[in-house]
Amino acid sequence: MKRSSKSTASNGLSNGHPAKKQASNGKNGGSPLPSRFYGSPLPGIKPEELSGSLIVVEGTDGSGRSTQISLLTEWLESEGFAVETMGLRRSFLVGEDIDALLAENSVTRMTLALMYGTDFFDQLERRILPALRSGLIVLADRYIFTLIARAAVRGIGRDYLHGIYEIALRPDLTFWLNVRPEVAFDREFKKSQTISYWESGRDMSLSNDLFQSFIRYQSMIKREFEYLSKRHGFIELDGEGSVSEVNRVLRTRIASHLGIRRTQYKPSHALAHLWR
Amino acid sequence: MATATTEIPVSPHPRTEEIPSTRREYPGALVVVEGTDGSGKSTQLYLLKRWLEISGYRIHFTEWNSSPLVKSATRRGKQRRLLTPTTFSLLHAADFADRCERQILPLLHGGYLVLADRYIYTAFARDSARGCSPHWLRNLYSFAPIPDITFYFRAPLDVAVNRIVAGRPKLKYYEAGMDMGLSLDRAESFRIFQERILNSYDQMVDTDDFVLMDGTMRVNKLQKLMRDLVAKRINLAQFAPKKK
Repeated sequence: MKRSSKSTASNGLSNGHPAKKQASNGKNGGSPLPSRFYGSPLPGIKPEELSGSLIVVEGTDGSGRSTQISLLTEWLESEGFAVETMGLRRSFLVGEDIDALLAENSVTRMTLALMYGTDFFDQLERRILPALRSGLIVLADRYIFTLIARAAVRGIGRDYLHGIYEIALRPDLTFWLNVRPEVAFDREFKKSQTISYWESGRDMSLSNDLFQSFIRYQSMIKREFEYLSKRHGFIELDGEGSVSEVNRVLRTRIASHLGIRRTQYKPSHALAHLWR
Repeated sequence: MATATTEIPVSPHPRTEEIPSTRREYPGALVVVEGTDGSGKSTQLYLLKRWLEISGYRIHFTEWNSSPLVKSATRRGKQRRLLTPTTFSLLHAADFADRCERQILPLLHGGYLVLADRYIYTAFARDSARGCSPHWLRNLYSFAPIPDITFYFRAPLDVAVNRIVAGRPKLKYYEAGMDMGLSLDRAESFRIFQERILNSYDQMVDTDDFVLMDGTMRVNKLQKLMRDLVAKRINLAQFAPKKK
């Protein structure tokens, strides 16, 4: 196992991502990964008990993220793997509170960042870790990286943010569906006929023109992702490719990580409309 | 081959302002009281507040855990006992951030003397007693302005515990630290939890420049010490009523 002997920096989330390990004989080799957490693990967690896999799909709204998660869930289930999903604002503890805060627009960036942190760890500790302990495949529709990027473009220190999430679980695979902001705009507009306040970064007073605001905000987020991608070894995919092509690449990488031979997949009737 | 160790420039956008920032760049001042439950700190801060108020100084009083922002989440979490050490800590940090950014910092920048009943040290003591890493906690609260004076009211464990237990019909689940499984007996669990918190506070006396106050001294004697020190360390004239 090639791993830098350099010790973890004092403020969290070291690099040394194990993303390249799918080249070996897949998982369940018996010995636990050397570093399932970035820093010290969450209080009370034994990393060696986590036998499942955590697979993250990151990307802005309009990158096709959710579509791919739906398709991957179906594919994995058809292969006999149990799947659990997580995403933003889905915690029982504060999911609805964040919705309410976002609707008010009076919340400050630091509070919002920490509420998202609470939302994340509530899901991780009470839903995701038990799932991983039971050997499930967890598909994360966004992860700490979106949370870090959004807070960082609002001026919160990157080291500070990495420090908060250093107790998070390190994903086995992190995919980044990269799309140009212009393409994301087209797709989002087509989907909902409008552009959301937060996805266009309107709280940041970038421009009174919504299109300009959206493009500038998404470009800033994209730059953060470029930095995070290098730091954490993302697998970057062209999110502008067709759904079936992106899905094929995802399946190939995941299959090799899980040690599955077959990567053939055709969506069921229920999901056929997603297959473009 | 070490892509893993490649150093990446920390700041792709040099223009963004980096918080946390604890640089003291405001005309206000911050006075904090800390200590375990039952140490007498709230009484003392109240008396200090009255003294300053009566003299007409521009002051503001703030309490730990007072904002409506996270009330529903805290209630939900406590009722159903869903909170882990980490989410407990983050929820209180979110609450404090709201108070900090919308109340404490604007007041400090506006030249107020801010009096805080409990501050970030409460989180350090309580959350580290629950098992959060002290290093993680320090980072989490690094956006908070550093107090000008932190009074630490220390009472022996028995005194503090007896004051609380006597005044309350029933100790609450999280208050008694029942989530840590220290003891099935609430009073016993509370005692062990308070002991851990007390040890944690004691360790901060040096690292965080606490002014140690003996919680067993008479109330008026303690208050005199407190007022003298505030008058000595803080230029009260700058908080005096503005003359027209």
